[in-house]
Amino acid sequence: MKRALLNHLGRPVWGEVREDDAIVVLPDGARIGFEDADWLPPATAGATIFALGLNYADHVKELGFKAKEPPLIFLKGPNTLIGHGQATPRPADANQMHPECELVAVIGRPARRVRAADALDHVASYTVANDYAIREYLENYYRPNLRVKNRDTTTPLGPWLVDAADIADPQALDLTTRVNGELVQPGSTADMILGVADLIAYLSETMTLLPGDMILTGTPQGVHFCNVGDVVECEIAGVGRLINRIAPDLLP
Amino acid sequence: MISGTVYGVVLNDRAERDALAAAFGTAPYQRAPVTPVLYIKPRNCIAPHGAIVALAEDAVLVEVAATIGLLFGRDASRVSPKDALDAVAGACLAVDVTVPHDSYYRPPVRHRARDGFLPLGVPGRFDPALLERDIVTFVDDREAHRWQCTRLVFSAAELVAEISSFMTLRAGDLLLIGLPGDAPRIGAGERLRAELDGLAPVEARFVAETVA
Repeated sequence: MKRALLNHLGRPVWGEVREDDAIVVLPDGARIGFEDADWLPPATAGATIFALGLNYADHVKELGFKAKEPPLIFLKGPNTLIGHGQATPRPADANQMHPECELVAVIGRPARRVRAADALDHVASYTVANDYAIREYLENYYRPNLRVKNRDTTTPLGPWLVDAADIADPQALDLTTRVNGELVQPGSTADMILGVADLIAYLSETMTLLPGDMILTGTPQGVHFCNVGDVVECEIAGVGRLINRIAPDLLP
Repeated sequence: MISGTVYGVVLNDRAERDALAAAFGTAPYQRAPVTPVLYIKPRNCIAPHGAIVALAEDAVLVEVAATIGLLFGRDASRVSPKDALDAVAGACLAVDVTVPHDSYYRPPVRHRARDGFLPLGVPGRFDPALLERDIVTFVDDREAHRWQCTRLVFSAAELVAEISSFMTLRAGDLLLIGLPGDAPRIGAGERLRAELDGLAPVEARFVAETVA
């Protein structure tokens, strides 16, 4: 099953995505067509948002880093999230803004000291994120710093959550980013350095993961700088296709 | 108790910055930080006054840095330093706990984001005079540390302005405005108490984690 969070009659409402993704059915019986839906990021309020850097071997090589332990993990605030079909402003001085298509695992049951072999039992669902980066703003302290990775609306998420039961193997999913239709980021979740189960095991060694927490699992190679007006599509096979546009910054 | 996100800032203590000036010029940093160095404390960290904090085997001694948390009553986005504190509706005493780490190169999730690693006092009224009063930390009733936010490189208002230049500090968010570079350490079996005249105190007891 797929579940989506829509802005409906002035409030966020969770619904079920049905009929080959053509409609979202809400608890009050309303049937909202795909094109008419006002998609909100399918996130739980207060949830912790983890994100991975350098978690695909090809991307590590592309950026000139050596693959190395320990995993590069950072946190994000909910101000970064925006739903499917919306626009993200590119700051006027940002020539190096690039999309990063990522598989997101959403925790369903509390996890503490979970073994990798059992870790996927703690995943409720999966979704897609586009974790934009703006390379000009990188500083070498707690890098990637919040000025790069915690800007408002720079993390489109969705369009929906897919039940974990419907994803046979999260490490065998084709993942692509297209900009204005051109393929810029072809990849597969098979190339993750630490897979979803490994990440849950690693994180839960030192902290408790709670229901709703999200892990953005990193992105493959394919750094492509975006311009205002670009349409960016991040797609993960069997999970969803997340669309975002690059908008101009309204302020000087 | 805190409905939003908890943000914190490191390397905001003038004396600490001076001591690290030579290191900042070398790899991997290359130069001193230009903007505030920020981190996030996720929800599993938040511990109420009087909480028990369990320390794992790899964290025999942890740093306990008492500071002021600013609680936002409305959103702050692209505010000037002059208006920055208008959005602050309250404050609380906070103790940021971390596994000691020397490198500031990578985000400190494994060090700073453990369960119970942010004991918080009950929020009260924000008074700018709090920024000039002693924050005192006791370990087992013995004074272990004393400092003031007058040591900060970026003042509270400058921090809010800097951060809000690229992201919104939302109503319900908490901003820890800086940590003392010489924070004391604590281990299992010890009790922590932090005090600041004008805010509720915060206490925590540290124990060794028992693994089932």
